[in-house]
Amino acid sequence: MNLAIQIVIGGLLQGAVFAVIALGFSLVFRVTGVLNLSQGAFCVVGALVMYTIEVSWGWPTPVAAVAASLATAAFGLALGALCFVPAVPRLPTSSMLILTAGLLTLLQGVLLIGWSSQPYALPPFSGEAPVVLWGVRVPTQGFWIAGITVAVVVAMWFVVQRTTLGTALRACAENRVAARLMGIDVPRMTLLSFGMAVLIAAISGIAVAPITSLEFDTGGFFTNFGFIAVAIGGLGSFLGSVAGGLFLGVAEQLAAGYVSSLFANALALALLLMVLLWRPNGLFGGGAVRRTDVRDEQRIYHAIVRVQGRGGLVFAAAAVALVLVLPLLFPSAGILSSLVITGILYISVLGLDVLMGYAGQVSLGQAGFMAIGGYTASILAVTYGVSPLWGTVAGIVLSVAAAWVLSFVTLRLRGHYLALATLAFGLLIDSLTVGMVDTTGGPSGLAGIPAFSVGSIVFASPIAMYYLVVGIIIVLVLALYGAMRSGFGRALIAVRTDQTAAVALGVNVVRYKLAAFLISAALGSLSGSLYAFYFHFLAPEMVATPRSFEMIAMLVAGGEGTLVGSALGVALLTLLPTVFQPFALYKTLAEGLLLVLCFMWLPEGIFGFATVQLARWLRRGAPPATAAEKAMP
Amino acid sequence: MSDAALAIKGLSKSFGGVRAITDVSLAVPEGSLTAVIGPNGAGKTTLFNLVTNLYAADSGAIDFQGRSIRGLSPGAIARLGLIRTFQSARIFPGMTARENALAGAHMHLGVATWKHMLWLNSARREERSLAAKADRLLELVGLAVFRDVAATDLPMGAQKMLEVVRALMAEPRLLLLDEPAAGLNDAETAELAALLRAVRDSGITLIVVEHNMSLVMGVADQVVVLDAGSIVAAGTPRAIQQDKRVIAAYVGSEA
Repeated sequence: MNLAIQIVIGGLLQGAVFAVIALGFSLVFRVTGVLNLSQGAFCVVGALVMYTIEVSWGWPTPVAAVAASLATAAFGLALGALCFVPAVPRLPTSSMLILTAGLLTLLQGVLLIGWSSQPYALPPFSGEAPVVLWGVRVPTQGFWIAGITVAVVVAMWFVVQRTTLGTALRACAENRVAARLMGIDVPRMTLLSFGMAVLIAAISGIAVAPITSLEFDTGGFFTNFGFIAVAIGGLGSFLGSVAGGLFLGVAEQLAAGYVSSLFANALALALLLMVLLWRPNGLFGGGAVRRTDVRDEQRIYHAIVRVQGRGGLVFAAAAVALVLVLPLLFPSAGILSSLVITGILYISVLGLDVLMGYAGQVSLGQAGFMAIGGYTASILAVTYGVSPLWGTVAGIVLSVAAAWVLSFVTLRLRGHYLALATLAFGLLIDSLTVGMVDTTGGPSGLAGIPAFSVGSIVFASPIAMYYLVVGIIIVLVLALYGAMRSGFGRALIAVRTDQTAAVALGVNVVRYKLAAFLISAALGSLSGSLYAFYFHFLAPEMVATPRSFEMIAMLVAGGEGTLVGSALGVALLTLLPTVFQPFALYKTLAEGLLLVLCFMWLPEGIFGFATVQLARWLRRGAPPATAAEKAMP
Repeated sequence: MSDAALAIKGLSKSFGGVRAITDVSLAVPEGSLTAVIGPNGAGKTTLFNLVTNLYAADSGAIDFQGRSIRGLSPGAIARLGLIRTFQSARIFPGMTARENALAGAHMHLGVATWKHMLWLNSARREERSLAAKADRLLELVGLAVFRDVAATDLPMGAQKMLEVVRALMAEPRLLLLDEPAAGLNDAETAELAALLRAVRDSGITLIVVEHNMSLVMGVADQVVVLDAGSIVAAGTPRAIQQDKRVIAAYVGSEA
């Protein structure tokens, strides 16, 4: 019995952080309609700043706590004013979601550079000795966490429900235009909600740091679970957020205590998927319901990127020629290896482009399909001696089947909930690859994977693998290009930009969303299999959720909805760390920065920008109707 | 009523306590052009939304070519050949004008996607013939110059015309146009009138919600006047112009 109580208390303490993060999500969501994924990182920023002030500089705890909270809040406000507030009215919510994912990555990059990758723990506020209550040991920090959480929740409730400021905040949530007409400074309210969310995240991060070990990337974990908590509780509902957080914390600890800590995440995520399936508005109702019938996607304003006719052929021929001679230009083994990885990852990003760039469905779980493909093919090859080719095919079949099952949840969902369901799927696969030690080798990975082979042809050397991957890519790009310029591609874009109008023309929205999802799953899986065969080794972190975010950054930086553009993004983020070794430390920061900058200033990506500029430059010298304009699309 | 393309009987819909459409009955003969007029808030667009099941009707019957369509999904209704446009032109961003027109032909794509993936000749042929058809229609409404321009960069009037072209590409049997003349200048309105007549003469039944009286009186076979959710008058344009209730609805009851 004591054990159960002990576990529940541990769960409540863990859940308190989730609850505060969920509360921050709710606050920003209510004011802006955006789920701010960078939320969790501010917990870690607060805690690590606190560590420096308290432990390195030796300031007294209370002073250090206040200073760290305020410093984090100030930093958050600056970041919000620069990157978040200007983007809210310009970007569709799905892009905002990815922008904030970029902020999350950026913050992790900053933490990695400032505090390196070791774990940190703060000393408890009032000594190490736990208090024993009726035979149950409670760490003193637990009382601090409970007290601080209650104070934060009450203060937030008071500000939002009982003050004029709160009324203004709620008015922004109800209708931004009307709020502005009533003289409410909407950008200021947006910044304020962002800042308040950062402040409470920092406070809870500081409170929980003595009982949790924190690293530069723990923010991702906090974000994920805060996100899940808010979904279980109901987006936009304050009570729901808090209850969802506590519930998630307890459920996770109970699963860890009685089943296995490795499956605790899996259980929490399965729980979430069930909630999404049966109660998409959360267990506690929606709270403040936001209008979602507005045609928000009209805000997708990127230029139309089309390379057509003769110009397109010349471009394609040049690109293929360049790709074919590339290994001869750079004979260094390191660069060749990076080129192979670029190609393999590009296959997965290509699938993501069909899903996100064309069909407009945000997926935060693409790496999950890489994992399914990678592990299925590797395990079949290593344990059962199945040939790599058939293993790869089996991986694709399994991934498509998994995507099909997942689609029962996702096809009913839009926007945030869709992103959430795919994130949950990715995290579920993460915990399975770590947890199923007997089959996957667990955290230490799976070694001894053979090279890829077709019949008696073995692609053992990097150069052989390079040309294999290039061949696959050429076939895939040609096939997808053929599909995207046909009615299939038009239907996907129609579904993305205006579902109602698409339906009114007889487009079967569900079918096209499903097709895009299955294509992305198949390509993710293929990429994962090739990845494992190339490295002869596969570990969970090679195909885990951060990889999903990385692929989104690659896609957005290269150029969405262009098929070929994302190759530039993949190459940039894969080759730079190889070419400039010191860059490896800054890779996370660069990924985040690239995502944020592209969304704010280069929404059509590097490739899109270059194409549009080139088209403009060509048109300047040409007669009104150029060959490219006359050619059939 | 076998000669009616669309037959509506006793249709009602209220939002909360507000009755948006009350007991509306209407028969639209095959091959005719019916105009629905009425002051703002009369329920004209709501009527379209009920017919296409964007809103579920509270009561009443909606028969399209002798078959009940009430309760069918908007997609299924479209696939029967009942195509509509929207009051605010809902053209697809991220596509050129021609691609928007081609998107209208979605239901008439005969070639499987895998054939497009393999770049087969049959697939290219279909695309070419659809593109040629789209170009003819764009030419007809004077949008040929905008063919490869991003649809969202078009002026409002052109976007509305593009939406009509897109709807025509769907080869409708019954076409519902929601204020097609809004945002058009006089010359464009005259072109629209010619287009509407040509569409009707090609055998497509039309229902047009419109504010522009000269357009309505010039092209309609039948005019239906809605006010506060009910039909207050229906008849030929000439009869409607002299109807006291219509004048009252438009100008006020003192007139």
